[in-house]
Amino acid sequence: MRRDDAIAMVGRSPPMRVKKTAMTGPLAGVRVIEAGEMVAAPYAAKLMADLGADVIKIERPQIGDRSRSRGPFPGGAAHPDKSGLFIYLNTNKRGITLDLESARGSKIFDRMIARADLLIHSCAPSEMGRIGLDFARIAAINPKLVMTSIAPFGLSGPHRDWRAEDITLWSAGGACYLNGARNHPELPPLKAYGYQAGYQGGAHAAAAAMGALFGVARGGAGQHVEISIQESVVAIIEMANTFWPYMRVVATRYGPKPVQPLDSVECKDGWIFLCCVEEHQWRQFVELMGNPEWAAEEIFNERFKRGQNWDALRPLVAEWVGQQTVQDLYQKAQARRVPFAPISSLGDLVNSEHLRARGFFVDVTHPVAGRFKYPGAPYQLSRTQWEIRRSAPLLGQHNQEVFAELGLMGEDLAALARDGVI
Amino acid sequence: MNKPPLTGIRVADFTWVWAGPYCTMQLAHMGADVIRVESQTRMCVSRLTLPWAGGKTGPNRSGYFNQYNQGKRSIALNLKLESAREAARRLASKCDVVINNFAAGVMDRLGLGYADLARIKPDIIGVSLTGYGDSGPLRDYVAYGPAQVPLSGMSALTGYRGWPPMHVGFSYGDPNAGTHAAFAIIAALYHRERTGEGQYLDMSQWESTMALMGEAMLDWTMNQHQPERDGSRDPSMAPHGVFRCRDMPEPIAGSAVDMWVAIAVAGDDEFARFSQAVGRAELARDDRFATLAARKKNEDELEAIVTQWTSQRLAADAAEILQNAGVTAAVCATGRDLDEDPHLNERGFFVEHDHLEIGRVRHAGIPFRMSETPLAIKSPAPLLGQHTDEVLRDLLGYSAGEIENLRAEGALK
Repeated sequence: MRRDDAIAMVGRSPPMRVKKTAMTGPLAGVRVIEAGEMVAAPYAAKLMADLGADVIKIERPQIGDRSRSRGPFPGGAAHPDKSGLFIYLNTNKRGITLDLESARGSKIFDRMIARADLLIHSCAPSEMGRIGLDFARIAAINPKLVMTSIAPFGLSGPHRDWRAEDITLWSAGGACYLNGARNHPELPPLKAYGYQAGYQGGAHAAAAAMGALFGVARGGAGQHVEISIQESVVAIIEMANTFWPYMRVVATRYGPKPVQPLDSVECKDGWIFLCCVEEHQWRQFVELMGNPEWAAEEIFNERFKRGQNWDALRPLVAEWVGQQTVQDLYQKAQARRVPFAPISSLGDLVNSEHLRARGFFVDVTHPVAGRFKYPGAPYQLSRTQWEIRRSAPLLGQHNQEVFAELGLMGEDLAALARDGVI
Repeated sequence: MNKPPLTGIRVADFTWVWAGPYCTMQLAHMGADVIRVESQTRMCVSRLTLPWAGGKTGPNRSGYFNQYNQGKRSIALNLKLESAREAARRLASKCDVVINNFAAGVMDRLGLGYADLARIKPDIIGVSLTGYGDSGPLRDYVAYGPAQVPLSGMSALTGYRGWPPMHVGFSYGDPNAGTHAAFAIIAALYHRERTGEGQYLDMSQWESTMALMGEAMLDWTMNQHQPERDGSRDPSMAPHGVFRCRDMPEPIAGSAVDMWVAIAVAGDDEFARFSQAVGRAELARDDRFATLAARKKNEDELEAIVTQWTSQRLAADAAEILQNAGVTAAVCATGRDLDEDPHLNERGFFVEHDHLEIGRVRHAGIPFRMSETPLAIKSPAPLLGQHTDEVLRDLLGYSAGEIENLRAEGALK
């Protein structure tokens, strides 16, 4: 289905003789070890795993990844193998339990390092030395290994050991301050839904780790890649990181936005996001509204002026928009190449015909949690497949299999289990 | 000697605004030679957008453009003319990656569609970065980064309790698609390195934004549950939010700047440390607050107590006191706070270059580091068409006379 889509898409402008090789991911055969918790490191490793890499996820014996205790859960009943956050972020991985703080655990870890291409971890910077995550030591075991360390504030600097949760990183990176209600300075800066700092740290880590792996594939040495989640957020806050150095201006959440309309407005049957970044889009929208007289006012005739005067303009626009339905306005605007968008509910997305035609949502059967639709490929590659090959691991599910690959079997394994190493 | 890993990879960058440029900047950060194809006849929106260096407008003076195009080259080609399209095709044939975010069909009409490119250079990696992807019934719909937040479902989940859906405050769909595209492009280069095969990458901003909300989607597919908007609260922590502090010590342009601190208290032990740090040790023994369940139940009251303490302090002091006590907190940073952040500065995160038109201005640097192939931003963002002649001459083999003819014809503007 997915592959057919890719070929149908290419079919409009067919590439010459696409060789029908077996569709595997571009990272098939790449061996990755993940020692990560919550979102950032697991997401980075998921991006690799979903493109074919063989990812072994290490969790603490008994306890596992903290995300196992976060919901959502089917029916709302907490269960470590049923967390929606965990089963989404850990698809395509094999899971083992291993105590990296024990001497025997550490030896096993070194054997894994010796056979891996990439290690992704999010162990606290102050703990790294103690559990042997010292790059010089690791490079001596495997000089081709890429070691990727994801830390909230990076591996150096006065805040290196600061405690962090997603909300404090989204704030420390300057994103949180930007979000709130126009004209309501009394309302606090508002966090975006979910674990966005974690996802951004993970996505930047995946890109950088991929770059380092490419360097190794071209004959370079392994190396230590470091990602600061705070810096990953500072890097993406649009104009807010240049307003101060360029103009000595602090962007606020409640003041006028530079350009309008870029705002949610209520229709008869729901909300729509109005979006006129360029002048031709505004002109088309004005035409769609039937060229009302007020639209010709001088104070609205340019995008920055519309930004400054949005308090005056918004009610005029809102009155017209309030008489439309979301789908009708969305389609009419798009027919004029005006990039409006509906405010989708989760149900709207799962039922979207467009996303269905692209095969975005994929059904995944998890042996304990059950069978559900998951968000799928964030990109489609014409020749190499994004694919869910296995569901997220139960805690320690692949201990026997993975440790057997390392030559650990029978009584050895039983002893390690008895002593709580695995 | 130890060159960044993408050294020698050349990218023809036909993208504009933010998603594509953010993608190609990651490639430039890792050593790729990124050549932006631009034109005065249809200038990139980001060159026409605030903030302006020194408050003066001009295509080379936008902080938006200059932040997200560091380390790239720029050539000006007026693609309305066949001679310019020919130069663009020659450029593509010299590149490993060709990326665009035009509407569907535009690259085909320019003779730069993936099929054309693959004919010239079979192992090329063609990338289309669009709002809705390159297939499906809405493939011709247009999208901008800010619209991805509502479209992806994130707006419906973000907001104050009882208020309408909100945005996240910036065009989040753009840089996120850019980072995901950069990862996928390097994965495709990796595949090419191993097999010699190029391919076509179809990147939808919408889909890459939904990838950031997997747990919400699963809440729907598991439970048909659309979570209610609940401000900055979290079901597993309390207090968890952003709390008012004293204003910034000095006003900016005559206006007071409100400051806030983010605080997240995960368990009862951390709450005991928090109570101690704010001089209210008894709170940890108070039935209203002693357990997470109690704190969630009495969260309004709890937040009022937190605000009582934070509102008497500077945000930086509040964060410092709480961190020293083992409580998770950070300043809710403004652009100015980032610029002056002792931590980011000690790490050398910001970069300054001599820009030909605006001089030395600080920009955010590279959020990742590599030990053996140190990364550095090679150059400031290019002036519009700054490298037209050098690229035509040195890379594409045009003679001085041919370049003059192109210029006279209007192909190089």
